[in-house]
Amino acid sequence: MHLPEIDKYAHISSPFHSWDPRIKLISLSLLIFSIVLNHSLIIASFALLLAIILVFLSKIPFSFVLIHLRWVLLFCLFFFIIMPLTVPGDEIIRLNFVSISWEGTKYASLITLRAISAVLLIFPMIGTMKFDTTIKALQRLKVPNKFVQMIMFTYRYVFVFMEEARRMFTAADARIFKKGTNIRTLRITSNLVGMLFIHSFERTQNIYNSMVSRGYTGYLKTLDEFRVCGKDFLKAFSIVVIALILTIAGRIL
Amino acid sequence: MKEIINIKGLEYTYPDGTTALCGIDLTVSEGESIGLIGPNGAGKSTLLLHLNGILRGKGQVKVLGLEIDDENLMSIRSKVGLVFQDPEDQLFMPTVFDNVAFGPINTGLEKCKVEDSVKKALEEVEMEEFSLRYAHHLSFGEKKRIALATVLSMNLELLVLDEPTSNLDPRARRHLIKLLTGFRVTKIVAGHDLEMILDICHRVVLLDKGKIITNGEPKEILSDKSLMETHGLEIPLSIL
Repeated sequence: MHLPEIDKYAHISSPFHSWDPRIKLISLSLLIFSIVLNHSLIIASFALLLAIILVFLSKIPFSFVLIHLRWVLLFCLFFFIIMPLTVPGDEIIRLNFVSISWEGTKYASLITLRAISAVLLIFPMIGTMKFDTTIKALQRLKVPNKFVQMIMFTYRYVFVFMEEARRMFTAADARIFKKGTNIRTLRITSNLVGMLFIHSFERTQNIYNSMVSRGYTGYLKTLDEFRVCGKDFLKAFSIVVIALILTIAGRIL
Repeated sequence: MKEIINIKGLEYTYPDGTTALCGIDLTVSEGESIGLIGPNGAGKSTLLLHLNGILRGKGQVKVLGLEIDDENLMSIRSKVGLVFQDPEDQLFMPTVFDNVAFGPINTGLEKCKVEDSVKKALEEVEMEEFSLRYAHHLSFGEKKRIALATVLSMNLELLVLDEPTSNLDPRARRHLIKLLTGFRVTKIVAGHDLEMILDICHRVVLLDKGKIITNGEPKEILSDKSLMETHGLEIPLSIL
């Protein structure tokens, strides 16, 4: 079964791979915030270019990035359909009763550029270290333990969930279930999804029992080995400076 | 010989009203290997969950001389290794190392000692090179062995296994049985794989409808055709 793993390229070597996970998470998060809070179309375009360069530096193949980016692009497409037609402003084109506004197009472009840049930056941030390292770095950064556990369990069990879903749909297919755009398909699919949730609930109880039997008291403890060096701070400094420039330039423009 | 388990008059009813255990009396001594057999719904898994205090019924349950109560719970759990039937439930951390280290870390061991116990546990199940692998990348047989390592890494005095050979292919099953036979620690093994019970256990406890039906020599019990058939079991082929 194909496993959609974000850390598929965590083993390669790049300036991002060798960066201390904790500092990398903070620095790139700041950069992402500076991009998504920016209101300038020019800065957003520049941010997209910057994000592409950073992905290039991380050595993660663009083919891999694009596969994961397609859902974001699909999501952003709705903004391009809805916003130019609904946001009031200067008219670009008028076709009978439909008018496309400049403001709507601008906002849709701004949202799309910011979203794509932010998602692109996730790859050098998370995709350059193994998932368990990300979890440990989040713990060391004092991110609330319950939140860290939720992320960890979601990632660990999404594969089990997918496998169970696949098995159930195969069992349905084996009994001549044909997917279609009708009420029957909807009813059967919702029943299958309902059963998946019941299975998940039962599994949660078993996992909890298994954790408790090994001394779990509600707080997740792990071992890690993080070492910070001068280069880590230099990289962080560069990224934070870029984030600051983007923020200041966004206010000026 | 040191008494590892002492259960007297144990009763347990699930919140939906189903009586799972009814007047269980059982004593297990150090070094024994007990096979817990019985049909589906006999109460085997429920009984196992009482051994490290996940479930608490009426009656007395003493493990390693300690009554199961809030005060002794952590101490008992650090010495009773419970391996669940489905390894996906046991391997909840992302990597093999983190899964095997989970118990020792919770018992408060120092980092170097945790690493040492993980290494030893993985060696015991012959999986030492799998330490950095993701749990979801392992085969079912590998997951079963790592699930075993997750409890071996603790300072065990009692190993409790629920259906250890279920869903394993013959080679993985033989391998697991070989490993289990080699462990000198006190064991309680619940399952329907009666050949495995014959291979591993010194004593068999037959459970049905929440009650202990009989308790004794594996060959004697497993070769009793009428007893086995009455309780939904069959004589293993090797003693037919």
